[in-house]
Amino acid sequence: MGRLSQGQMVAAVGGIVLLVAMWLPWVGISGPSLPSRLGGIDTSTSDNIWKSSSLDVYLVITAVVALLPALMALTDSTEEFSFVSAAALLLGVVAVILVIAFLTVDFPDGGDRKYGAFVGLGGAIVIAVGGFRAMQEEVAGEI
Amino acid sequence: MDANRLSQGQLVAAIAAIALFIISFLPWFDISGAVTVGGTTIGGSQNFNLWEAENPLDIFLLIVILVALVPAALSLLGDGGDAPMASMATALLAGVGTLLILYQIFDTPGDLGRKVGLFLGLIACAAIAVGGYLSMQEDVGGERY
Repeated sequence: MGRLSQGQMVAAVGGIVLLVAMWLPWVGISGPSLPSRLGGIDTSTSDNIWKSSSLDVYLVITAVVALLPALMALTDSTEEFSFVSAAALLLGVVAVILVIAFLTVDFPDGGDRKYGAFVGLGGAIVIAVGGFRAMQEEVAGEI
Repeated sequence: MDANRLSQGQLVAAIAAIALFIISFLPWFDISGAVTVGGTTIGGSQNFNLWEAENPLDIFLLIVILVALVPAALSLLGDGGDAPMASMATALLAGVGTLLILYQIFDTPGDLGRKVGLFLGLIACAAIAVGGYLSMQEDVGGERY
């Protein structure tokens, strides 16, 4: 892992956060709850991004691209991908736009925004920042 | 305005992006159903274009169209400064867009059916990716202008 630049490591952390966030609740659906004297059962449920939107495939691609340099380092591969940092920046920025759109204009009617969506948004932002930092490092030849 | 200012790749990507924008207003999905009342079955269906379907693909493809059109528009207006990432961005985003449309063809959301726009959109998005890739190669070969 030593040959990873700081930006690549930041992007990889963002990729892991985004992948984990995809299994957290993104959309809450409130249902009727019984009073406590009748058992106090709450029928509210929540869905992760796999069930609540077709954004899932795009977010997986973004996370994989962000993790690519770290995966290559782990497997001791000598393969060089010159466009990976720029791709992580680009896909990360677009992921931020898409998650914000999902949380605002595209959000399912009657649903509640759950913390998974905000963790995912944070992961996408970290990927974009990491990609930008990695690009700067490549330009400066610091790697 | 002089179309000769555009490289072949930029031209392919720009034409395909305009085509994708037009295609986005064609039917992409439909939903159909039938009810039986007193022995009489009444059926109906409704078409949805890209913008009407509740799907994040619309915003993503709008970004792809803009990324493909803006460098071409700047070049046409004679303001095409160095945009080293533009060709790569076009190829990458349109490539991912092609994958996303392909995924929707095989895994259509909910009970929706596939319509002609989905398939034409796939072709147009793939054409943008090819245009972006050609433009990347032209940038490396220095063939532009």
